[in-house]
Amino acid sequence: MVNTYLALAYSFLWLLFMIYAWSLSRRQAKLRKEIEELKTKIQQATTSSSTPPQR
Amino acid sequence: MDKKFPPTVHLALTLAWFLVALHMIFLYAPEEMTMGEVQRIFYIHVPSAWTALTGFIIIFFASLVYLRKKSRLADQVAHATAEVGFIFCTGVLITGPLWAKPVWGIWWTWDARLTLTFLLWLLYIAYLMLRSYLINPGRAANLCAVVGVIGFIDVIIDYMAIRWWRTQHPQPVILGGPGSGIDPRMLATLLVSWGAFLCLFFYLLRQRLALGQAQSELREMRRNLALASSEN
Repeated sequence: MVNTYLALAYSFLWLLFMIYAWSLSRRQAKLRKEIEELKTKIQQATTSSSTPPQR
Repeated sequence: MDKKFPPTVHLALTLAWFLVALHMIFLYAPEEMTMGEVQRIFYIHVPSAWTALTGFIIIFFASLVYLRKKSRLADQVAHATAEVGFIFCTGVLITGPLWAKPVWGIWWTWDARLTLTFLLWLLYIAYLMLRSYLINPGRAANLCAVVGVIGFIDVIIDYMAIRWWRTQHPQPVILGGPGSGIDPRMLATLLVSWGAFLCLFFYLLRQRLALGQAQSELREMRRNLALASSEN
């Protein structure tokens, strides 16, 4: 039978690494989404500022 | 670097390296005579500790470069390393007590090595807290660089603690002078395992650096958007 302390040490450490890797990828995905939204907004802002006013 | 060594290849290499390390830990390394099976915690506890110390060494050098040249990249490296290093240091503080309890009969004792490792963990927290609480990025970078340089003193004393003083923590098994040393198969397993930990550390570090760069890009874009809005 596997020693309980040994099993706990390996499990906790892997869990810690997996949670951190998951949090990193989640934060990256959130940032990418925000960047895309902002790019659209900037594009809209520059388009509206470069369009000559209607007479 | 992403083109020459893509993150997916890095991740695949890390996982393969860990498979080899786990094979060696459970099937190649001999069982320790007095502690038995629980001694195999050694192969994840020690590499976690060495990696956490390596992390602070990187912070130290990056902080020195930042203080000297005000390099933004050096600051980003130090910040990213602090977060990843903190994870590995937490790993040391989890696996240590889980090894201590069956071997020493206690979860924790305030001996020099354990206390200094706990202090290293607190230094990592202090560094990350300074980053998140200080609003001015330049001021945060300066103060964190000072913490990174001063905190390095703890790394040196932590490493030397078991060489300078008699501690509850075991004496060094590598570079410990006459009388120290372990079975060559145990040493090979330990080094392969440390290699896998370092590979994981650098994989997480480059992911964290990419995150930091995306955050900078986002800040820049917000500034541009604010400028474009004010012009309208």
